[in-house]
Amino acid sequence: MNGENTRSKPLTRKDFLRYMALIAGGTITVGQYTACTNKTDKYAHITGKINGASAAVGHRLRSGGFPTPTVTGHTNTVIVGSGVAGLSAARKLRQHSIPFTMLELEPTAGGNAGYGENAYSAYPLGAHYLPLPNPDNKALLALLEEAGILTGYDPDGVPVYHETDLCFDPEERLFIHNRWQEGLIPQLGITPAVAEEIQRFLAEMERLRRVKGADQRFAFDIPVANSSTDPLFTALDHISMKTWLHQQGYHSEELNWYLDYCCRDDYGADAGAISAWAGIHYFAGRKGRAANADASQVLTWPQGNGRLTQHLLQFSKDALLTNSLVYQVSRVGEKVQVDYYDVKEHITKGIIADHCIMATPQFITHRLLPAMTHATAFVYSPWVVANVTLDEVPASSGYPLSWDNVVYKGRSLGYVNAQQQTLSATAPPKQVITWYLPLDHLGAVASRKYALALDHAHWVKLIADDLETAHKDIHRLIRQIDVQVWGHGMVRPYPGFISSEELKRAREHPYPNVFPAHSDLSGISIFEEAFYHGNRAADEVIARS
Amino acid sequence: MEILLLFSVFVIATCGLIYELVAGTLASYLLGDSVTQFSTIIGVYLFAMGIGAWLSRFFKKELLSWFIQLEILVGFVGGISSAALFLLFEHAMSFRLVLYLLVGLTGTLVGLELPLLMNILKNRYEFRDLVSRVFTFDYIGALLASIVFPLLLVPYLGLIRTSCFFGILNVLVAMIVLVKFHREIKWAAYLKIKAIAVILFLTAIFIRADAIMSFAEGMAFRDPVIFAHTSPYQRIVLTSGKTDLRLYLNGNLQFSSADEYRYHEALVHPVMMYARAHQQVLILGGGDGMAARELLKYPDVEHITLVDLDPAMTRLFRGNTLLTKLNAHSLQSPKLSVVNADAFQWLKANKALYDVVIIDFPDPGNYAVGKLYTTAFYRQLRRSLSDSSVVVVQSTSPYVAPRAFWCVDTTLQTCGYHTIPYHTYVPSFGEWGYVMASPSALHQQQDAVPEGLRYFAAAVFPQMRQFTADMDKRTVRPNQLNNQVLVQYFEDEWGKYQE
Repeated sequence: MNGENTRSKPLTRKDFLRYMALIAGGTITVGQYTACTNKTDKYAHITGKINGASAAVGHRLRSGGFPTPTVTGHTNTVIVGSGVAGLSAARKLRQHSIPFTMLELEPTAGGNAGYGENAYSAYPLGAHYLPLPNPDNKALLALLEEAGILTGYDPDGVPVYHETDLCFDPEERLFIHNRWQEGLIPQLGITPAVAEEIQRFLAEMERLRRVKGADQRFAFDIPVANSSTDPLFTALDHISMKTWLHQQGYHSEELNWYLDYCCRDDYGADAGAISAWAGIHYFAGRKGRAANADASQVLTWPQGNGRLTQHLLQFSKDALLTNSLVYQVSRVGEKVQVDYYDVKEHITKGIIADHCIMATPQFITHRLLPAMTHATAFVYSPWVVANVTLDEVPASSGYPLSWDNVVYKGRSLGYVNAQQQTLSATAPPKQVITWYLPLDHLGAVASRKYALALDHAHWVKLIADDLETAHKDIHRLIRQIDVQVWGHGMVRPYPGFISSEELKRAREHPYPNVFPAHSDLSGISIFEEAFYHGNRAADEVIARS
Repeated sequence: MEILLLFSVFVIATCGLIYELVAGTLASYLLGDSVTQFSTIIGVYLFAMGIGAWLSRFFKKELLSWFIQLEILVGFVGGISSAALFLLFEHAMSFRLVLYLLVGLTGTLVGLELPLLMNILKNRYEFRDLVSRVFTFDYIGALLASIVFPLLLVPYLGLIRTSCFFGILNVLVAMIVLVKFHREIKWAAYLKIKAIAVILFLTAIFIRADAIMSFAEGMAFRDPVIFAHTSPYQRIVLTSGKTDLRLYLNGNLQFSSADEYRYHEALVHPVMMYARAHQQVLILGGGDGMAARELLKYPDVEHITLVDLDPAMTRLFRGNTLLTKLNAHSLQSPKLSVVNADAFQWLKANKALYDVVIIDFPDPGNYAVGKLYTTAFYRQLRRSLSDSSVVVVQSTSPYVAPRAFWCVDTTLQTCGYHTIPYHTYVPSFGEWGYVMASPSALHQQQDAVPEGLRYFAAAVFPQMRQFTADMDKRTVRPNQLNNQVLVQYFEDEWGKYQE
């Protein structure tokens, strides 16, 4: 365990120096090639812009100094935040006819599951798929049925999904030894010993998928709250995934790379920075099945999980106030007052409610409710998601263009073909691919500063250079790169975090009528957890209404 | 001096015959029926040469300059002739007219050459000597041309490069004469520039010949390529051999004119025999109009909607005389409307119901086309069918790719269709399979088929439904968007077959 993994230290000295060096390097590089004539800059033709969560407005929370608000309304429940947790809570309240108002800082709802669209395709800005839900997750199955994604059950009770919502084949490929192979687990050019080690690992994950603790609950389950509390398994939270792999005798470079990739993909940091419990949960937590798909398949859409938030939003569109920065939640007698700043009108307003659901990440929550001091335990991995519009993804040797395309030992997580789910049999006039990079080369805070400091030209260079490793000269085909910076992309389950006292305390009610609800209360940032916490908080409100 | 001029005669004669041979060969490639083409081309060419000879009387002064002018012009017209004909084949409304005009022009110019040259030389040689030498070299040149053309030029250079090469030779003759006699020639500088310009132009075509008509592609196909076009969707290539015309899409054979009737009769007539109504028919794919040709033999077909992705295909098969002869002008029929759209997208938007649907897509050789053979596609299709509608799907070879073939059958059954798989022998394809399908049980409705069919008859159908052990039903998974097993079966089986 080193300093980067634990606690949200402001910024270590070492990181600060590395960060300054990177920024200086970046600036010089960009400076150099903008100083040269444009002819020598091979990326000069690439257009696009940088978007991100409204960091500038959000940072007003730190400075404070808002004028006294005018009370503009009364309602049963205020939901702060309209990410997946907030939207899920809103749906449940609406189904029980409980009046509510939902406040959102951004111009649109959806949070990490946001999406964009250009002339050629819709594309995700963040979360982009949902694994098949576990059979016990009835609430989620019901949601999918309601949205028309789950069409029914076969005679054995196994769900049947709408074919166009299941990820189209070809699904995954890995660029290794200068060739694309099918699937993400290295196969090409590995020795029999490595192949055997990988098989052993997968068999172990299969065992852990089914194993139950002394309390008769699955060792690893989704939602995390349903997992066994048997110390046999929870002890795994105290070591890193890397340490566990080492202890279990998994030494091969290929398997260790694959697990680094998985941890970065789901948690934004490599196996050394993630707890073994979380690392294993990535595999063993998923028990979903489908009558018309393999268990490992996922549900995905051109706009990513925006498909799901679009559905959820139907229940709360009329109660949603966007561009509304909540800056204070306080107790007024038996009620709760939520004060917010109207970003458009530049005035402050207050709403008085019987209940308040805090569907916000903890780094926000603790600014609104200063009593929540545990927030420093929460570490957030910064992310960059770039949507690249290009003439075509060039053909290269091996397996054809797939939904998920990863480069072995690449810096990024590769790219997803945003048009994978198109029904047309012909290539679109322009292709859109979504490129993912968890910023884990520095500690979380330094990485965040680094990401926010870079300009578009530097991002283009970083992204195009990365794509060039598998596609030589691809820059000639790239037209546009739109960069989405997620300063606080996802909560990071570093060793000890999921079993920490702080996480437990974050789930408690700061006031009897204020209900926390966010995926980071589970310690991992996935749709299922956000949905679970939104529903749970709404159920608590319903029980008291 | 004498040698030089006689060498010119030799070159001129060779070039003249080459142009004639190029035109004849091109005409038989592009229009078929080589006896007719060669005979009419030779006739027109010789007649035009006669016109040229007659015209030579009007040239009285500056003969040397006119001769040089003429050589440059012959080199230009002859040199570009085959490239021009290939390019115009696709666009010209009446290709024949263009062909004969070009042949006539070349012939006239070539016909002018020798009389003009003899007039130039008449004062330098004794007449008897002159006639003897000129004609000797003329005929030697002709012999050389007729030998090298089929043996060396067509196989190694191709038609476009051959005519460019000889065009350049023609202009070189002009250049040599120009240099040797520059004192006697008016406008020498102007002629020199012109000659150089034409040589450069022809050299450019020579180099770019691959782009005009892919040389490598010409070598890859069995027969000479007469048309090649890369549309945004596919590469369309037509070849013409001794006995047939073949269409290739992305290098895959779509039909041979020699036996396509077997394929298309087997595609269309069984489904018509089983359909209760024929009024509204939908063809998906089939932009060549052959399936439509068979459908139009039924008087009770009221309207055919043909949905083909590629406008280049339907335009080609609607406009080109050679091809409209094959599809009996079916794409021009008032009963037929062509929609250029992606079939999946079109079906999603379609609200009409069809009695009969003919699905004639390319084989599922890649993941993009594979989507058109999935459960999702057939479920989408169901919305355009009534309960009694009948569909037929071309389903690759049950002999080469039995799992792929039975996968189409299984996929349709998974979507609730009743099916009748059947097959037939098409010599250019081999054993070929189809699956007939309907939302309700399939019963034969009639015995009668249109008159004049060359292959299909009601009595043959039971035999087509028999599958021998080597192609009999296999247990396979249905093809879905999220597994695309059909593409895997297809690649597996055809890959092995082609090894």
